[in-house]
Amino acid sequence: MLLVSGLLNSRRCRPLVAVLVALVAGSACARESAETESTFRAALLTSGPVSDAGWYAGAYDGLLLLEDSLGASVSHQQTATPAEFDEAFIAYASSGYDIIFAHGNEYQDAAIRAGEQFPDVTIVVSGGGRVSANVVPLIFRLEEGSYLAGMAAAYMTASKVVGMVGGVAIPPAQGTFVAFESGVHVVDPEIELLEVFTGDWNDVAAAKEATVAQLSRGADVIIHNLDAASFAVFQAVREAVDGGDVAYAVGMNSDQNAVAPDVILGSAVIRIADAFLTTARLWQDGRVGGAPIYANTEQEVIDFVFNPVLLDRVPAEAVDHITRTKQAIRAGEIDIPRVIFVEGEGEGR
Amino acid sequence: MSAGIAPARAREAALLGLGAVTLTLGAGAVLLLLGGYDPVAAGASMLRGSIGSWNTFVSITLVRSVPLLFAGLAVALAFRAGVWNIGAEGQLYAGAVGGVWVALTFTGLPSLLLLPAVLLASCLAGGLWALVPTLMRLRLGIGEVITTILMNFVGIYMAAWMVHGPLQEQRGVFPQTDRIVEAARLPALIPGTRLHIGFGLALVIAAVLAVMFRRTRLGFQIRAVGASPQAAAVAGRIDPARVIFISFLASGAIAGLAGGAEVSGLTYALYEDLSDGWGYTAIAVALLGGLRPGGVVVTAIFFGALQAGAGAMQRDAGIPAAWVDVVEALVILAVLGLDRVRAARAAAPTGEGGA
Repeated sequence: MLLVSGLLNSRRCRPLVAVLVALVAGSACARESAETESTFRAALLTSGPVSDAGWYAGAYDGLLLLEDSLGASVSHQQTATPAEFDEAFIAYASSGYDIIFAHGNEYQDAAIRAGEQFPDVTIVVSGGGRVSANVVPLIFRLEEGSYLAGMAAAYMTASKVVGMVGGVAIPPAQGTFVAFESGVHVVDPEIELLEVFTGDWNDVAAAKEATVAQLSRGADVIIHNLDAASFAVFQAVREAVDGGDVAYAVGMNSDQNAVAPDVILGSAVIRIADAFLTTARLWQDGRVGGAPIYANTEQEVIDFVFNPVLLDRVPAEAVDHITRTKQAIRAGEIDIPRVIFVEGEGEGR
Repeated sequence: MSAGIAPARAREAALLGLGAVTLTLGAGAVLLLLGGYDPVAAGASMLRGSIGSWNTFVSITLVRSVPLLFAGLAVALAFRAGVWNIGAEGQLYAGAVGGVWVALTFTGLPSLLLLPAVLLASCLAGGLWALVPTLMRLRLGIGEVITTILMNFVGIYMAAWMVHGPLQEQRGVFPQTDRIVEAARLPALIPGTRLHIGFGLALVIAAVLAVMFRRTRLGFQIRAVGASPQAAAVAGRIDPARVIFISFLASGAIAGLAGGAEVSGLTYALYEDLSDGWGYTAIAVALLGGLRPGGVVVTAIFFGALQAGAGAMQRDAGIPAAWVDVVEALVILAVLGLDRVRAARAAAPTGEGGA
């Protein structure tokens, strides 16, 4: 029970991998929200576990940030199938939730349906592609971070082969790899890139197999775009390092540097929580609706952060080059290749 | 194994079901206590979210029960005939692909023609998916437990490939099909709710199966072959191969409807991860329902309520999704354990245990 009270007091409520501990953390959050005098009600839908230390965890942190910073009353549901999407939207909308964060493009069709049925509710679809008066996509320009990650990878590879392991080959994920590739080639156009999509964000076995395959083909820096399966990439790289090779992994979606500090070179970061907070503030000002919301390097929602533990192995020239490029992206001086996937989207940052 | 999951008598099945449910909920409550929860609050939100109001019951619980109902009936039919069809999951995906293909292709047809065509296509696709293991069993003598499980993976990946390839939306961006036309969507069974007529169709199939088992020659033959193919052939002059062929394919067709009804009644497009392992849950549904159509209806609704309540527990009490998976696994363990006990007690007086 010490652990329980510790979690209750910490107010962090960060979900942990162990199921029982997650149960405890969840209850702690639920109890807190019940006691708070709330200003508005915010809900989060994810289709994966918020213990992934990445995409879903970032969203969950964002939800808790809305509770802490804006006094929102919050709730989270993990859905398993598309048939549940409508049910979850209806349940939240009809029990008085004001804004629903649906964290993934898979929610877009159900979000549009729910938006028509509940015109007073605002739905924000992370990475979505469809827009209506009260349903808006929240687009993360993660390409900007993965471009910088590509530059870092190019400076660190000795074999001149760099790998990319993705989950499902959807445009937002493909876009990060396209940008990563151009970041690599800005530093050294000779470097060979390997790309694979396992078809599943959370399939640990498939991700590990894909990583091992790329390592055996000579890749010595591997970036991922996965959710819970990212641990498998780090594990495979760690096993290669333990076997005497020099290899690095690159984290993605959130700052994963601490997940495997011995092998992660750095992380292309979406500060999802900050993006949620910004979005909620825009919404409070009545400025959300009818158009996508973009989160990018300029707002410091997107970033690339070196792992401080391994930073001494990175040449100073690389750090300097990446820092200068980051500033140039922020100032809008560099065009990062993007995949356009919002209906009717032209330009816009 | 076969003695353990032979069809139970209705009263025994009901007692068995109640016993499994009581055991499971008791174990679930202990688990929640261990996790530092108030099981009463969790239970209350579970009840509210599943049977809290008429609309909740109809629009969430019954809607969730539909795929379990179709797949549960499919499994019950096969198991009664002694066919261990573990492949409802793959047949469901095949049915969903078949149905959505027709819905996307013949968009000009009026609803009166298009809807039956969609459902028929999902039946055919599900049956076709069952045909491979059927022929492998009847022609090559390869056990269907293995082949149906393997066909599940083929089905799941086939559906995934479809939404990345041939059936991907016109824009070619997201891994899903275009939305199907209005004419291909199942209308509401009860106006003002989300419950579509797929539920009614499943009830009709349950009634047909119940009458068939009790009143028809084919029903008798299925039960006879299920009890012992050799005895059925020798004493009843029944052709076991023919009976197995019919019930295996019919089982696949009904499981295919689970996928077709889901796409046509709820999601209106095909996605990856359409099913949350319903084809496997259906095995528990069928067993817990005593392999009887009426029992399957009751247990499918129970599992629907369990899943609906799990959603509410997440939303209102902050309990993670993993919990309901644990409860479902506990139900399956409890029912298998209790069924063992029942079979042993039934066999003990005559001394024919394990026959």
